[in-house]
Amino acid sequence: MRTGTKYRRRVVSNLAACLLLGVTGGAALANEVVVATTGGAYEKALREAWFDPFTRQTGIRIVTVAGSNSQMRSKAAAMVAADNVTWDLFMQGEIQASSDQHRQVAQDLSDFCRQFAGRADLPGDTCTPAGVRLLSNATLLSFRSDAFKGATPETWADMWDTQRFPGGRAFPNFDDPWRVMAAALLADGVPRSALFPLDIDRALAKLDQIRPAVSLWWKTGDQSVQGMRNGDYSIGQIWLSRAQALKNEGLPVAWSYKASFLVSDRIALLKQAPNRENALKLAAFWLNSPEAQAKVCEALSCTPPSAAAIALMSPQARATMPSSDDVKTYLVVPDSQWINAHAARMLERWNAWIR
Amino acid sequence: MTGQAKRELAEPLPVRKEACRVHSARSFGPALTVLLLAPLLVLLLLGFVYPIAYLVKLSLLVPQFDTAHYRRLFSDPLYIDVMVRTVKIAVAVMGLSFLLGYPIALVMAGKRRRLSLLAGGCVLIALWSPVLVRSYAFIVLLQRNGLINTLLHQTGLSATGLRMIYTEGAVILAMTHILLPFMILPIFVALRAIPHHYGQAARNLGAGPVAAFLRITLPLSLPGVFAGCVICFILALGFYITPALVGGPGSLMAATLIGQQVTVLLDWPFAAALATVLLLSTLLLVLMFRKVLATSRGFDHVH
Repeated sequence: MRTGTKYRRRVVSNLAACLLLGVTGGAALANEVVVATTGGAYEKALREAWFDPFTRQTGIRIVTVAGSNSQMRSKAAAMVAADNVTWDLFMQGEIQASSDQHRQVAQDLSDFCRQFAGRADLPGDTCTPAGVRLLSNATLLSFRSDAFKGATPETWADMWDTQRFPGGRAFPNFDDPWRVMAAALLADGVPRSALFPLDIDRALAKLDQIRPAVSLWWKTGDQSVQGMRNGDYSIGQIWLSRAQALKNEGLPVAWSYKASFLVSDRIALLKQAPNRENALKLAAFWLNSPEAQAKVCEALSCTPPSAAAIALMSPQARATMPSSDDVKTYLVVPDSQWINAHAARMLERWNAWIR
Repeated sequence: MTGQAKRELAEPLPVRKEACRVHSARSFGPALTVLLLAPLLVLLLLGFVYPIAYLVKLSLLVPQFDTAHYRRLFSDPLYIDVMVRTVKIAVAVMGLSFLLGYPIALVMAGKRRRLSLLAGGCVLIALWSPVLVRSYAFIVLLQRNGLINTLLHQTGLSATGLRMIYTEGAVILAMTHILLPFMILPIFVALRAIPHHYGQAARNLGAGPVAAFLRITLPLSLPGVFAGCVICFILALGFYITPALVGGPGSLMAATLIGQQVTVLLDWPFAAALATVLLLSTLLLVLMFRKVLATSRGFDHVH
């Protein structure tokens, strides 16, 4: 009988220990932030430079969920609609971030942004009610430098000039056609300041001229890389991050900032996010640590939001970034408001033209 | 399963065995039939009928009853064109699968054991490998510096190389490859069910091998052909990833169009309208197809 009591007591104490563990375990479980990212090299860079240092400093764990941008967008919308939100932060392109749909899904960050208002190293639109700028990526004219002797293509007009610059062309054909239309208009002589609102008819007419020369309409970044490797095209409108990756492989690839678009990624806070406070701490950590931004953009060849971060980057990395002169005279930043308002119409016209 | 159902199953069986009756649906009582069907019915209601009804509701109530999405769909030639192209590609894939699949099914159902095992193994291995992998395999095969072009170049058949990837032909080829097992397996089952001596009897009565095949084997295998064709056709209509990977801008299909509306524009009511039209036209085509095959010879005589 005595052993029985002893046994029972041990069971009780074990149970209590388990319960205690369970409670603290539960607390540890809640001490986290769930971030939806596009995965791959992007997430790896963010984890090494941003998430891991943040966890070391605060003890808050970062759980990531991977998906494509459009998957994330529709899943976030479905979660908020179903009132069952399990993510805290998700990535959103600059253009989508200024849409009405985004406002229905994301929390207004006006209060949070106030702390960054006077910062000298951050441009005024770094932190907006829609989200915090993560980094900026260029889509630009890239070419095989071994394909041309002498002059190299520099502007969109050069891309259209198949006499001077022979060879195949590549353009994106994912469901976001404004970049291609804008390039066509710039090639047709529309000045940068008058680009928006886009003249869709004129853009498609200009695109009719280049269509026979287009040897690749890429849908995934991988296709643009594979096409450049195989020599499927000699000039293409592709992402700088991919062009940089090709150059790192040793391929003769070059690009021109005189034909480039700059689009940011933002990180937004979902409505009813389960770990709101932690998520905001994570976002503030990003804007407050130029070292993390510099490390990420060094790995991904992107432009960090903070000027202090640019100063921290290596000379080689800075050499591939657009100079302030390029930014002032050539770099095109899209009119998000207009693109959002006309997204459906643009896609309809694009689908009708491309098929 | 409940105890009562177990008893019902256990008790009548010995009697049936004595009567040498086949255990078809007809030999069960109505209560048991309903009971056996109930799990499937519940699953279908929750997992199929409810979402479809919700989809149709989503496309019509915005928020009052309004057919605006359907009017937009039918007024812009783009959407009808894409639907028609989707059906055309699905028919081409179905026809090609039938032409390529029937001989393989014949070999599999044939009397030469080793050959039929080999054919069956190839079909099943193809069926078990993931669609994404097979789509990428076609990129490797068809791309400009891919296997086929390299071969053509080295044998001197073509100096410049053929443009094969990112075309509608590539989409049809890759889809046919992916859907071929779904055509072969039902035909194989139908062929296996035909007793061998039917063919022998036909030969005995003076028919040549071609006549015996055309008048005995082919008509008797039509139920399998019908099943294979319907499965291939319906699956082909909804293909998403393969056209996106190996197709060019010219091969915009209905599923891609619906995906754009769902994920890019977040216009779910319009996506629901597109999906509803696709579903209804599929049902209509399958019904028409069934009518055509049912009137053909032999179909009614097979159970």
